[in-house]
Amino acid sequence: MAGKVIVCRCEDVTQSDLDHAVALGYSHLEEAKRYTGLGTGPCQGKECMVACALYLALAAGRPPSEVRPFTSRPPVAAIALGTLAGPDDPGEGGG
Amino acid sequence: MPRTPDCALEFEGESVSAVAGEPVAVSLFAAGVKVLSRSIKYHRPRSFFCLAGHCGACLMRIDGQPNIKACRTLASEGMKVERQNAFPSGGLDVLAAADFFFPKGMDHHTMFTAPRAVNTLMQKVVRQLGGLGRLPDPSPEPQELPAGERLRVDVAVVGAGPAGLAAAIACAAPGRRVVVFDEGDRAGGSLLSHPAHGVAAADRLAAEARAAGVAIRCRASAIAWYPEDEGGLLAVAEQPEGGGLPRLVRVTAARYVYATGGYDVNALFEDNDRPGIFAARAVGTMLIRHGVLAGARPVVLGDGPYAAALCEALAAAGCKVMPIDGVRERVVAARGRAWVSGVDVQSDGKTGPVTRKIACDAVAVATLPAPASELARQHGAEVAFRPEGGGFAVLTDGNGATRTPGVHACGDVCGFRGVLAARLHGSEVGRAIARAFARPGEGA
Amino acid sequence: MSAPTTAGPVTAGPPKRETEVLIVGGGIMGLAIAYHLALRGVSDVVVLERGYLAAGASGRNGGGIRMQWSTEINVLLMLESVELCKRFAGELGVNVWLRQGGYLFLAQSEGERARMEKNVALQNRHGVPTRMLLPEEARGIVPELDVSSLAAACYNPRDGILFPWPFLWGYANQAAKRGVELHTFTEVTAIEPSPAGFLVQTSKGPVRAQRVLNCAGAWSPEVARLVGVELPDRPHRHEILSTEPLKPFLGPMVSVLSSGLYFSQSMRGEVVTGITVPDLDDGSVKLGSRLRFLTTLAKELVRVMPRLAGVKVLRQWAGPYDVSPDGSPIVGEVATVPGFYLACGFTGHGFMMAPVVGKYYGEWLAGGPRHPFFDRWRLGRFAEGKLESEEMIIG
Ligand SMILES: Cc1cc2nc3c(=O)[nH]c(=O)nc-3n(C[C@H](O)[C@H](O)[C@H](O)COP(=O)(O)OP(=O)(O)OC[C@H]3O[C@@H](n4cnc5c(N)ncnc54)[C@H](O)[C@@H]3O)c2cc1C
Ligand code: FES
Repeated sequence: MAGKVIVCRCEDVTQSDLDHAVALGYSHLEEAKRYTGLGTGPCQGKECMVACALYLALAAGRPPSEVRPFTSRPPVAAIALGTLAGPDDPGEGGG
Repeated sequence: MPRTPDCALEFEGESVSAVAGEPVAVSLFAAGVKVLSRSIKYHRPRSFFCLAGHCGACLMRIDGQPNIKACRTLASEGMKVERQNAFPSGGLDVLAAADFFFPKGMDHHTMFTAPRAVNTLMQKVVRQLGGLGRLPDPSPEPQELPAGERLRVDVAVVGAGPAGLAAAIACAAPGRRVVVFDEGDRAGGSLLSHPAHGVAAADRLAAEARAAGVAIRCRASAIAWYPEDEGGLLAVAEQPEGGGLPRLVRVTAARYVYATGGYDVNALFEDNDRPGIFAARAVGTMLIRHGVLAGARPVVLGDGPYAAALCEALAAAGCKVMPIDGVRERVVAARGRAWVSGVDVQSDGKTGPVTRKIACDAVAVATLPAPASELARQHGAEVAFRPEGGGFAVLTDGNGATRTPGVHACGDVCGFRGVLAARLHGSEVGRAIARAFARPGEGA
Repeated sequence: MSAPTTAGPVTAGPPKRETEVLIVGGGIMGLAIAYHLALRGVSDVVVLERGYLAAGASGRNGGGIRMQWSTEINVLLMLESVELCKRFAGELGVNVWLRQGGYLFLAQSEGERARMEKNVALQNRHGVPTRMLLPEEARGIVPELDVSSLAAACYNPRDGILFPWPFLWGYANQAAKRGVELHTFTEVTAIEPSPAGFLVQTSKGPVRAQRVLNCAGAWSPEVARLVGVELPDRPHRHEILSTEPLKPFLGPMVSVLSSGLYFSQSMRGEVVTGITVPDLDDGSVKLGSRLRFLTTLAKELVRVMPRLAGVKVLRQWAGPYDVSPDGSPIVGEVATVPGFYLACGFTGHGFMMAPVVGKYYGEWLAGGPRHPFFDRWRLGRFAEGKLESEEMIIG
């Protein structure tokens, strides 16, 4: 049995999943992201975005020069709700 | 560097020895714990990959908190560490059967859509399988939430690698407030994983920066540029010394420099996520910072200068290194399940591709790092896809200025260039910023 | 490498030159209506979307679906919508991951409690099993709740959440299969009324259409202006976030009436949560993310669920609410421009309405009966001062 080629580690997306998305017409990175979940895991695409973008472009027959990243949504690193819920300044009273 | 354990972690009820202050992921690896996590859908065994806090492969439950990066958490006496998302245990996970039932992948959108009873049952099962860690343990007393801080500086640099530190040094001047943030626990960035540079070189550069009046704040992750808040601010989450929740620092500066480097990315081959397949820089970091060998017979995959330096260092440490350049010879599959035991390597023979099997106990993947361009993009910088630069490179002029006034970038985030070139680039960009400050009307 | 032929729903090339029905906007509303028209034999339909499918609110929402409303018409329509959602996977071949974990509304004042009781009575009259709860009972449903400031709660176990994207794929695929043309990255730039209908200018060439449907969500006032119609709905940025994935711990969607906070746990284990944050109302659609949203939300969420203080935010984004003055949609034919139809003003609940609104819109335009909501929610009501106020609006 052949193994899986993992293109997005966080969400267990395989190369076959990308082929499948392309075959269904979801070959743009933003569309394939929604269909396969690629780039939506704990790393938010840090590890997988470039490889997936390139693979999709080639699979759909688009030149790599057209490849665009998906929108960068904050936060770049996960941040605890408790950090955000604290008072804005040391002087300020409770949240 | 010999490694002498001096404390003990509590790993799933067992005591595991560790060096206080090293990443928990490294302690566990050194103690022979191979599987740190189970993947979300197929419950495939996973260990850490990048050892740099980027990849998401080493999330564990640590001291009652879910989804904590074991590679960013420093070992200390009595720390409680557990694996997540496995049944009955991280070592033996029966849910990994999913990996066999769906050998290629799965389209859960169109799976079992009918009949209705089956669909309903499937959705119930999927709900139970979803998610990674359990909720955080309740805190015994009402939790004190950390107070934020506001910081106004002249230059805010994100990334204390060779580029960021060099830029800070070059634009530092008496009376000018220059601050460098870095998510790591120590300044140095990619110097810290490079066998030809290492901790000593990183410390020297950081010392030079401090001597020039630069403030370096480690364990401080810049999380976003928010253009609409208070006229624009850089949000930074800073981990306090003694642990606990990070605090939020709202930073505003006259100039921003993004020197965020690049993310390690994996190569594409069958079973490329097996434990034991590491980013090359993780292998380098373990070796030169923590005195831990990734394996006795490692494959090093890649043909860049970093791969060469790593091969040399591993050989000097007594490993039997097997370099695969990735061009003439390509890795097409990994063998082994809970740990990599070999790779299939393909090359072009006279009559077609020839495959040979190599036994190994670790793989170091030395692909080009992908520019960490998110913050710069949020701050209006333009990027372009540059295969030779590792991905989406931030576009700048000769002075490192992006298209957004006051926003600069230098080093690998502008396309991979390597430690020395990144440092030179940082110096140039820093000097350009210093010149701009010296112009009338710009004032420091 | 040559492009493989794709089996996707999106049509390649420019749209056809003439069509019976042209729909502006490839969000959930446009696609649901297109599907229901095609289902009833009207397949000479073109849907034009400026971005990719669901680039607007439909691809950015929280996926909540509930029967707890303050008006009879909404209660009845949503009862039906939940039934349609349950059948969606079987009929359209795509899982929508509807999970009926209920909606738990929290009241903090006596005034809120009184209104809640009135609404619950209305819902009960129509067979919705909502019940009033004491604060302690609310804790029985969500053990991590801090109920110290609660006056009361209400809970309908049959409300739920779903995953928005599959609706689009389902409607788009099935509409395309029946001959509907879907064009992405195609913007409508002008609409000229003509004796035989409309001449619509698009970024991919002109299209003649007998009827035009404005399904442009928060952009619908702009589109209506192309035919000289001023709509009273206004775009309002609504921000939302999602946390790290956690094992199932939260059954219902929880919503705090006073602050507009809501939170639920998706099938993927993430807590998906939003809150209302004041914004500049200048008529433009704004989609930027703000720190102010994060801190406002975190303060309220950690107050209600202290246990979540250690849970980490993974991703935040914004989408446009298409806010109508009375909280009810604006639908039907515009009296002054025959042939020009509206399906907009869905505020913060257009996703859950789409299955039923799509169905009745399709039925009506295909020559079938006309649902009473077309009268109640007509554009003219604003000028006549006959508002259809819905008070159960979140966010
Ligand atoms: C954060 C958030 C949370 C929400 N939560 C919920 C919820 O829990 N439950 C619920 O039911 N609803 C919720 N909603 C509301 C719901 O998402 C919307 O009411 C619904 O998606 C509206 O669908 P639509 O098709 O009318 O509009 P949209 O999805 O916005 O579609 C309009 C489309 O028109 C396109 N367009 C605009 N102008 C043109 C033009 N000139 N030419 C071509 N195309 C054009 C746009 O690109 C867009 O794709 C939420 C909304 C937001 C923003
Ligand atoms: S590897 Fe794809 S989201 Fe992390």
